[in-house]
Amino acid sequence: MDRGEFAIIGTGEVPCGNYPERSEFETAYTVARAAIRDAGIDKDEIGAVVCAQHIMSNPNNDYNTEMVFGRLPEAIGAKGCRITCMTSSGGASSFSLRKTVEGILHSGETDTVLVVHAQRFSTFTPNEQAKYFSIAGSDVEWEVPYGMTYNALAAMVTQGYMAYTGTTIEQVASVCVACRKWAMLQPNAMFNKKEITVEKVLSSRMVAYPLTAFMCNVLADGGSAFVMTTAEKAKKVCDRPVYILGDASSYSHRTITRSKSRDLAKMGESMAPVAREAYEKAGLGPEDMDIYQVYGSYPALQLIVMDALGICEPGRSGALVESGETSPGGKYPVTTNGEALSFGHTGTGVGIALLVESVRQLQGKAGKAQVEGARFLVENTGGGAFMDCHFTILGNEIPH
Amino acid sequence: MSEQNVSIKDLLGLSDEEMLKPLPIPTKWSQPFWDAAKEHRLVLKKCSTCGNIDHPPYLYCTACQADEHEWIEASGKGTLYAYAVNHFGVPFPFWDDMPYVLAMVDLPEGPRMISNIVECDIEKLANGMELEVVFDDVSGEITLPKWKPA
Repeated sequence: MDRGEFAIIGTGEVPCGNYPERSEFETAYTVARAAIRDAGIDKDEIGAVVCAQHIMSNPNNDYNTEMVFGRLPEAIGAKGCRITCMTSSGGASSFSLRKTVEGILHSGETDTVLVVHAQRFSTFTPNEQAKYFSIAGSDVEWEVPYGMTYNALAAMVTQGYMAYTGTTIEQVASVCVACRKWAMLQPNAMFNKKEITVEKVLSSRMVAYPLTAFMCNVLADGGSAFVMTTAEKAKKVCDRPVYILGDASSYSHRTITRSKSRDLAKMGESMAPVAREAYEKAGLGPEDMDIYQVYGSYPALQLIVMDALGICEPGRSGALVESGETSPGGKYPVTTNGEALSFGHTGTGVGIALLVESVRQLQGKAGKAQVEGARFLVENTGGGAFMDCHFTILGNEIPH
Repeated sequence: MSEQNVSIKDLLGLSDEEMLKPLPIPTKWSQPFWDAAKEHRLVLKKCSTCGNIDHPPYLYCTACQADEHEWIEASGKGTLYAYAVNHFGVPFPFWDDMPYVLAMVDLPEGPRMISNIVECDIEKLANGMELEVVFDDVSGEITLPKWKPA
């Protein structure tokens, strides 16, 4: 990929939260039309539709099967569609979807691609949700028989990160507080009504020590979409395209015990060369970024990724968040939609929502959460049992 | 916590089946591990070509892809690397065990394992503490290696 070869020109999103009456299909069709309208193109210009896999299917009308079998182009009337497919890498799906799109655009088959994500969890019982999510991050042969859960996985990583870096539980809690402050500025966030404090986070129910309830994400219904095209077309049809300036990736493991970085204090440091590679490809550095969009299913994982970004000493991200500099109005705005912790956990859509928010910020469409004059940002995602990391530099101009 | 005085099974009217704990389903390449565990032995898969020890084991060596291997006896010693204590929101079969400890245990042979720490006050857990393996016969076929303070 050449620097600035591709651009995102429009986005769509629905409110995230408890919406049992809103099917995945309704969400998909709604965000698809919103993204096409926001992009200012005709629906018949869409040459490919790429769907994100959703999780926990309804066996009577399986969304994944429908999307794989081409329901979406038909439903939205995309008469010029030539290609449709589904892509997933769990929480890292925003990245694998985008790479799929880049491949399609690069092939020359079409110059306009629509990406759609939709998820509904609320029609499943809490027990069904817990059963699925408690074991999704864990190895069924080597971990689940011990009573392993997703929360316990994050809790162990948090406990080790704190013990080996000296990060305090108050600093971990301050990540939740900062996320909530951003979510308060987001009309589509699940939790945007009430501020929280470090004390409130710490006094909420203990779930998986050292994680309290407020440090664990909540499953939510939601969806988002974006339209991507070539830079050439973007310049013609869009006032403010958001260019992909550079990116880099790394895969580590499926099972947390086989992580390439066995030292939890250095997990972020081990991602730093990946972030550096992305910055270098863009011809920019961490100091050029106006926003740092960090995927964060759990607060300590946000700190670990922040250790890689080059904005503070590795292991000191907790102090940075505690200082308030990553909150609205701070010097280092981090994760401006509030992420899984406050925006809501929509399965494979968490990172897609963060990418969509990144585009909104760079198009000046982020409303109350807008970081004034934002030109460049770094966007991160990762999935599985913290299996991988991806860094992408986006900008509303191509730096010289 | 009060809910722990009443069994979750009675509280929610769950069936015996819903309360069954998930057990490992051994694969062709992990069966020797579980066979040894049943005999209260902890073994690890070591590549005969390059000496790499794989845990969890896979079909062939993840370092050099060779098939030839041997199962070596582990020392049964370990070190507590990091831990979590589950207090709430676990699958129902584990509900009555709360609070219970999950840990990353480092073996001197190289691998790291996820397991439970047993026979230890939660307050006494400490990163770096020395551990030794114990065996929990959870069914007629399956024994889970767990760890206690050495």
